[in-house]
Amino acid sequence: MDPLTLGLLVAFLTILILFSGASVAVGLLIVAAFFLLVFDGTRSLQMLPEVYFADLNSFTVLSIPMFIIMGASIASTRAGADLFEAIERWMTRVPGGLVVSNLGACALFSAMSGSSPATCAAIGKMGIPEMRKRGYSDEVAAGSIAAGGTLGILIPPSVTMIVYGIATETSIGRLFLAGVVPGFLLVALFMLWSIYSTWRSGAMHLLSPRRYSLRERLEVLPRVIPFLIVILGVLYAMYGGVATPSETAAVGALLCLVMAIAIYRMWRAKDLWAILRDSTRESVMILFIMAAAGVFAYMMSSLFITQSIAEWISQLEVNRWVLMAIINVFLLVAGFFLPPVAVILMTAPILLPILTAAQFDPYWFAVILTINLEVGLITPPVGLNLYVINSIAPDISLKTILRGSMPYVLCMFAAILILCFVPQIATWLPDLIMGPAI
Amino acid sequence: TELRLSHQFAPNDVRHKVAQMVADDVAAADVDLSIRIFPSSSLFKANEQYQPLSRGQLDMTVLPLSYAGGQRPEYNLTLMPGLIKDHDHAARMNNSPFMKALEDIMAEDDVMVLVHGYLAGGFASKGKCITKPEDVKGMTVRAAGKAFEQMLEGAGASISSMPSSEAYSGMQQGILDAMNTSSSSFVSYRLYEQVKCYTPAGDVALWFMYQPMLINKSTFDDLTPEQQQALRTASEKAQAFYLEEAKKEDAASREVFEKAGVEIAKMTPEDFDTWRALAKDTSYKAFVEEVPDGQKLLDLAFEVK
Amino acid sequence: MAELSFSERETVGTVHQPRVLRLIGAVSTLCGWIAAGLIIASIFVTCHMIFVRFVLGQSTIWQTEAVIYMMIAATTIGLAYVQKLRGHVNVDLVPLMLPYRVRRILAYLVLILTVIVVGVIAWYAGHTWFETFDRNWKSSTVWGVRLWIPWLAVPVGFALYLLQLLADIAALYLRIDEPFGKGRE
Ligand code: NA
Ligand code: NA
Repeated sequence: MDPLTLGLLVAFLTILILFSGASVAVGLLIVAAFFLLVFDGTRSLQMLPEVYFADLNSFTVLSIPMFIIMGASIASTRAGADLFEAIERWMTRVPGGLVVSNLGACALFSAMSGSSPATCAAIGKMGIPEMRKRGYSDEVAAGSIAAGGTLGILIPPSVTMIVYGIATETSIGRLFLAGVVPGFLLVALFMLWSIYSTWRSGAMHLLSPRRYSLRERLEVLPRVIPFLIVILGVLYAMYGGVATPSETAAVGALLCLVMAIAIYRMWRAKDLWAILRDSTRESVMILFIMAAAGVFAYMMSSLFITQSIAEWISQLEVNRWVLMAIINVFLLVAGFFLPPVAVILMTAPILLPILTAAQFDPYWFAVILTINLEVGLITPPVGLNLYVINSIAPDISLKTILRGSMPYVLCMFAAILILCFVPQIATWLPDLIMGPAI
Repeated sequence: TELRLSHQFAPNDVRHKVAQMVADDVAAADVDLSIRIFPSSSLFKANEQYQPLSRGQLDMTVLPLSYAGGQRPEYNLTLMPGLIKDHDHAARMNNSPFMKALEDIMAEDDVMVLVHGYLAGGFASKGKCITKPEDVKGMTVRAAGKAFEQMLEGAGASISSMPSSEAYSGMQQGILDAMNTSSSSFVSYRLYEQVKCYTPAGDVALWFMYQPMLINKSTFDDLTPEQQQALRTASEKAQAFYLEEAKKEDAASREVFEKAGVEIAKMTPEDFDTWRALAKDTSYKAFVEEVPDGQKLLDLAFEVK
Repeated sequence: MAELSFSERETVGTVHQPRVLRLIGAVSTLCGWIAAGLIIASIFVTCHMIFVRFVLGQSTIWQTEAVIYMMIAATTIGLAYVQKLRGHVNVDLVPLMLPYRVRRILAYLVLILTVIVVGVIAWYAGHTWFETFDRNWKSSTVWGVRLWIPWLAVPVGFALYLLQLLADIAALYLRIDEPFGKGRE
């Protein structure tokens, strides 16, 4: 059978299996096993566990659970609330009130957490009830936290950037740096929108923030110090010649655990288990998807589908920006249904040769890809952040969360557009610190 | 018939060119045989090719044989410091009783060699130049290959088991002081931007790695005599090409580093002998202890002059 | 939504359940502890490696490899536990729109397909494990770990995952668990 036709068949069956409710990882394994069996015979089934093993057989994989632990250990303590409060007291002069503080806290927290759901949970636990108490609508409260949480995978460290780095053999340190400025850009857009929407809804009084005395503001400062220590420690390890990015993750995880135990008194086995349980669950889920997507990619490559699709697209001879637009739409649609890690691993082998041929910068594209996947985190049917909000505030309906987060999706689209016009937003910082890319 | 060849190298790498050459010539021979190449680890990861090859799930590969050293410890001899002096010496290895002994071991795994070939490499350092064992003392080094790690540790260096994917940033950030790898990797990782001194493979070189093109033996035996002949003819031509290119790579890498303003150091035959003496006490010793027939194989290798 | 919620909804809640299912659940929880322990251990091993290299300036031979194998083991052994917590993310849009009976049939179908593929992997992983054991394969590093040790996690992990899946089918059959976490309206 012609590889392209075969590719269509694979796509059809994959969609069918995933929509039938099988878990994403197992769904990919089912499809891979089926096609290998039919087109390559029973001997290829022996490859399933071996490819699974080979895909996890990489040191970089380690950093994924580590960055998740960083997030989880803070999300399970009062640390998120402390951070939130400190930012609120210090940002009172900035108009936009509590929403802006929340977004700021999300951004800062993202600098310590590699995962979006963790960011969402850490800030949302305190942020959502507080906003509702002070008169913000459910829509604004839930939407801003859902969107702010997505920053977790754009602002370094980021699990998806690591996965992208593994899949494309690009430098993870450089990928992290590429996400910094776009992260700030996105936060700024989010803040602008929230100020505007609060003002438009006639809730001007919410924008004029509560006054805090100098004393109140100073007294909250010590509570932020642990955060600064962790962030500075990680930055020093990563860029100060101490450890490679993947190794740094372990330093960060250790610092966060120590902080949770020493400062937030999480030394009881039950408390520690709460941290470990959440991070083990998320890590295993993500790593299993990674390995399964690797098996899927092996099947696609083995049946020459990947290569044929890449060749077919490169022969289309469309304008490179039309190509980029098509890729974006494709990523968006994939992101609606699949978690970020699965999208990256399934598409990277196909997309990367095409992008390089069209002379797009792989680090710039990593940022575009990440923002696309952030959209997927706050849209149904699979939107991890939506579930987190749902578990924090079960009485806010999914529809309300969605209405609240939609404008932020538009902000993300705006960010993608800006990045297309000014790619330096992503490439400037890595070039400055690490020199031109290889 | 279509054969599948997998390897880990980029399409501009000499090892891909060797594979491509064989594929082209076989196709041109018009014997109903084609080779489909999966480059850049697009089918199997670098370290995961020997097993499927020996089972016949993969037909062909271009592989640093020492990657399978965990399965066949004898293969570690194909990346032993000081065993080979220069490229012509390496070429003589290919037709020796030593290689015959290795090929017998491969045959046990249903694997046979089509194209023999060695690539050379050197050292690059962020500090002082590396020519003698004393030079690496106290440095943190990432070495390519187990035997080199043992030897460098014997010379007083600290070995970092960093994966190759992180080695570049490791050098950049100063986590590593020095690196040892092949001439082509030095260029493709753009290490000339990071290092102060480069010791390329020259008249003598310490680092030679055997990277043959292999085929599953049963697959080969199942081909028609015409197909087998076409493969053999193509392989012979590719082997000559491989040797020429391997020689060129060392000089080319030297040129690139020189142009980038990196100091170039030269290893003398006396230095080479010092390293070899050290290797005898470290890597060779460990090898003989690990492999039952190790001493015999080592002697065979030394018989090649 | 319940399928994915991060709150604690476990396979079989407080409903009275047969002892076998409870036992399997306990085994899966133990798997979770082991996985978490391995993750914690790899934090310390990695930090130890950085310390040895950066502060002591000594060789680091075994740490990278050890951490890799611990991660593979953590992932594979953790599968059963995450299945028990319903933590494997899925797209349940369609199943939740279906009428109860169809949803139940679909749930069986999905579980059976999952059991088949997980069973196949467990079986062949057993083969590879035996090969690495029988031929005494080692990793090609100075440390030279005997590969059957890290490989052991794969057949064992997938087998325990299989066990939890079978328990889930039983729970569905006994109506202890609802298909895709959603009962009759
Ligand atoms: Na982050
Ligand atoms: Na989504």
